[in-house]
Amino acid sequence: MNCVDWEERIALYAGGDLAPAEGQAVERHVAECAGCQMLLSGLRESLRLVREVHGEPVEAAHFAAVRARVLAELERAPARRWRFAWGFAMAAAAAVLLIAMWQRPERKTVTHALVPAPVVSRGGVDADLPPARVSRTVRPRHKAGSGRPPRTMASAPPEPAEPMVVKLLTNDPDVVIYWITGTKGE
Amino acid sequence: MAQTMDGPNARTRLGELAGFEAVMRQHERLVLVTALRLLGNIEDAKDVSQEVFLRLYRNLGKVEAEKNYPAWLYRVTVNLCHDVGRKRRPSIAVEDVPELVSGAADPQQTLTGAERQRVLQMSLRALSEKERAALVLRDLEGLSTGEVARALGSSEATVRSQISKARVKMRDFVERYFRRRV
Repeated sequence: MNCVDWEERIALYAGGDLAPAEGQAVERHVAECAGCQMLLSGLRESLRLVREVHGEPVEAAHFAAVRARVLAELERAPARRWRFAWGFAMAAAAAVLLIAMWQRPERKTVTHALVPAPVVSRGGVDADLPPARVSRTVRPRHKAGSGRPPRTMASAPPEPAEPMVVKLLTNDPDVVIYWITGTKGE
Repeated sequence: MAQTMDGPNARTRLGELAGFEAVMRQHERLVLVTALRLLGNIEDAKDVSQEVFLRLYRNLGKVEAEKNYPAWLYRVTVNLCHDVGRKRRPSIAVEDVPELVSGAADPQQTLTGAERQRVLQMSLRALSEKERAALVLRDLEGLSTGEVARALGSSEATVRSQISKARVKMRDFVERYFRRRV
């Protein structure tokens, strides 16, 4: 083994990074090798120098400057967070508005499969209406004066060329609203 | 929206900031000096220190749970210095180091404080980034090899190799700088 092979271990030995057994092997080699003695001496010397310089105090003004900058940044932070909060609130409001518009009734397709008209039987007024299968776009419009929203809808089968009649039942069995619309629900 | 610093919330916050300032005072040397050794420039080191402490503030709960501020601070400082260092000039070769011309028997004894700092910083610049980080944490900050490995995200074997190479390069630099032959 030549001295180049010892270099790494000597460097570790100089900093106290070798296990005792390895350290003793290095000591035995160094005792017999002038070149490695110089290497070890130089390693120790340079380590001593850099550690000594590293331990010298740093100007207090540098630490104070960092502290002041950090604290100033943290004091500004809440206002910045509020600005972000406003932004998020506005975005959320816009999103809710968009969803609400998208889900407006005229966009909804309602499909009733053989509607048994349960409310009809409750009111007993429309027992004569047969179950109907309806599949179309519906735009319900409440007639003014009913006072309450309709409980259900029942309608005749769609006739392509004729106006459509929508019968709206209310909680009051004596009040029935008929809604005559065009074929496009207008 | 302006935020005023009045009322009980502001007092709580001011107390919180005062407490954090105490934490900064406790660890500021670790952060600033490590950054200075890794970057070689006090202004860059101050910028990194500022960012380290802002991140510490944002992660106080997590760091307190780890119960090891120094480990976290070393890790974050090294990572941020790595980011800054990538944009900086490369290391200098030992052969490019200027020699100190001095007639004194021991030139090291004649160095002023500023010159000694310069020798340290230049010797660190002679190392690769990973070697520098390993040597700074192990030999200057006094961490164990295992702690260095955790801070750098490396294995202990890798760190030992980096440390030994860094020590040899540093010795070469110092000897060349002082025109000494031990």
